[in-house]
Formats: sequence, structure tokens, C-alpha cells
Amino acid sequence: MAEIVLTLGVPHTPLLWKALQEPVPSDLAGVAANFSRFRSLLAAERPDVLVVVGSDHLRSIMTSNMPAFLIGKATEMRGTLPSEQRAFGLPASIVPGHRDLAAHLLGGHQLPASFDFSFSDEPWLDHSFMIPLLYLTPELDIPIVPIHTNTNAPPIPLATRFRALGSYLREAIAAWPGPERVAVIGTGHLSFELGGPRQFSGRSLDPDFDELVLDCLEQGDGGRLVEVATYERMLAAGNLTFQFLNFITCLSASGETAAASVEAIPSRFGNEPFIAWSGGR
Amino acid sequence: MSKYMINKLLWEVEGSDESLRAFIDDSAGFIDGWERNEPLPPYPSGGTLTAEERIAFESWDYSTLYRLGAHPFLLWQFARAVWVPGRMEAHEFVVAFRTGVAQHGHPDFAT
Repeated sequence: MAEIVLTLGVPHTPLLWKALQEPVPSDLAGVAANFSRFRSLLAAERPDVLVVVGSDHLRSIMTSNMPAFLIGKATEMRGTLPSEQRAFGLPASIVPGHRDLAAHLLGGHQLPASFDFSFSDEPWLDHSFMIPLLYLTPELDIPIVPIHTNTNAPPIPLATRFRALGSYLREAIAAWPGPERVAVIGTGHLSFELGGPRQFSGRSLDPDFDELVLDCLEQGDGGRLVEVATYERMLAAGNLTFQFLNFITCLSASGETAAASVEAIPSRFGNEPFIAWSGGR
Repeated sequence: MSKYMINKLLWEVEGSDESLRAFIDDSAGFIDGWERNEPLPPYPSGGTLTAEERIAFESWDYSTLYRLGAHPFLLWQFARAVWVPGRMEAHEFVVAFRTGVAQHGHPDFAT
């Protein structure tokens, strides 16, 4: 029986890739140190597979055909797209996939009762997957199951669905007959804006929102979190704050236990979240 | 209103180096070619873009595209890719972009 050995919530700010090149600027030293700390945490748990919950930014999935929740099932998949290689300097990568676990999470030949997932046999991984992977597993040698959540193109799923997704992952991973050690990695932001009047303000856009949701994550209070994370409240915190919802999935995947570590590292891009739940058993 | 078509053209331009170069070199010509190849039926206004949207694209007027409800992520990536090699330095453009969109607050970008 597989088990979740670690759950992590990390930022995926793509501009970090160029900004964190050596020598690391002093204002980003904390971000670099936390990626390093989380890389060690992950390595210590010796995961066999990573379930990565991220959100394609209209890079490979457009609103011509936008799924709410999509599981990628492939044995290998391409990391990032030409536009992101140009814009962010990210490398073109090939990432191994754990196709069998992905198929299991999709319910085999019929979708599970609780989730009408979409799936992809040829997923592309944008920066919401590649930034965490490149910092946490630089060799890109651990198979992943990517789960795309629509947090960027309204209508987006309710916060309660992100909570239910985490619960589903927790149960389905426990029901997988293999011996795999699974780490769940959610990627997103706290209050965040891009392409609006408040972008690149060099600080947290909404310290009250950040503090409140981090407190919920620290306490393991999923019920309060889904009450806080309404569309209107997230929008008020910044026009792309919805990507925060992936951390609700992390919390419930952990069994809604108190996080072992919650950090919001101030940076030029806002507060960068680093959240860890041990085990989830 | 055709926020989806605005987003689609933003995506198309920024999606490849070739498209980006072509749009920077001849925006009107690029849009002509895109509209010819666009398989969807035309909107009642007579094209895939309204006249206002078309003018905004041709004149690189991201402020108007923002007001019309372009997706902010797509718009920023497009604007950054078009303007910075085309007209100004990145740090100047950050300020110019903010000035251009600030007057419009937060338009609804749901398609």
C-alpha cells in the first residue's frame, strides 16, 4: 500500500529562475535557502513518485477546452514551452511520468464517483510544474503525476473542490497496491497579481490575506480556509491569487494536520510560501 | 465583446518566436493572415476581432486590451514580449504598463 510520506507547498514564480542565478541577490537569499531546505526534506523521504498539483497558465491549455482538474498520464512529458523558454530562460526538459499511478488516480476504466477528471496522454508542463521540479529535484529523475487545476481562467472550481481533491488523493494513494513512497507537491502563490495595476509592487499585496490563510494552513483548519477563499476575497488580494487554491489541496492531502513548517518569505515578487506537512499519516 | 478571441490572438503572437517576430515586423499583416486562417465563423462585427480590438492590436495598445477584458497573464506576457524588443527596456516597460492599466482597475477577465 502506497503512502504519502511528505506534502509540500511551494512557490512557482517563473522570474525566480533568472533571478536566482549565482550570485543570488541578497533579497532572494531566503527563497534560495528554503528551496534548498525543501530539496533536503524531500530527498530524506526518498519518494518514488511525486504527485504535483499545479496550474497551467494558458500555456498548453487554452479556454478552447479548459478542464477543471486534469491528470497527466504519460511515461514522459515535456517541460515548459518555447514561449516560457524565451520569457523566463527556463530550459526545455523531459520529465518522467508514473503512468500507472496516474491511471489509478483516474479510476482505471471508469472515473471515480467523486471526481469527473479530465486526462491527458501528452501533458506539457509549464512553469507551475517546472519551477518546483527544477529546484526540488534538479535531476528530474523522480516520476511524477501532474495534476492541472484551473485556477487561472474563470469559472474556476470552488475552494471546497480543491479540498475534496486533496481528500480524494489521500484515499486513492492509500488504496494503490504498490509500495511507492509518494510526495505531494502543490504549487502556487499567496496574494499575487500579474498583468494588473499592482504587479511587481515589490511586497505582499495583501498581508491580511496572507497571514490569515497561512494561519489556517498552520492550524490544519481546512474548514475555515474554504470559507476564506471565496472568489471575491481572492480577487481582492490580487488578480491571480486563485493559484493559492492548490495549497488547500495540499492541506487536505495531508489529512488536514497542522503543518510542520510554514514560511512566507518576503521577496521582490511578494511573499513566497514554503509549507511542509510531514507524513500525513 | 470577444475576450476569447483577444486571448487567442495574444496567445498566438506570444506562443512562438516566429509569430512574435512577424507581429513586431508587421502587426496588421500578421492579423490579416491570422484572421484568414481562423476557422471559426466570423463574429457579427464582421471578423474575429471587433474594430476596436483590431485597432488596439495594431497599435500595441495594451491599455485598451486590458480594459476590454484580456486575460492579465496573457496580456502581460504578450506586452512584455512585443514591447521590450520592439520599443523599450524592460524596467521602463514595467512602469509604462502599470500606468496604462491602472486607470481601468480590474476589469472582469472571465471569457
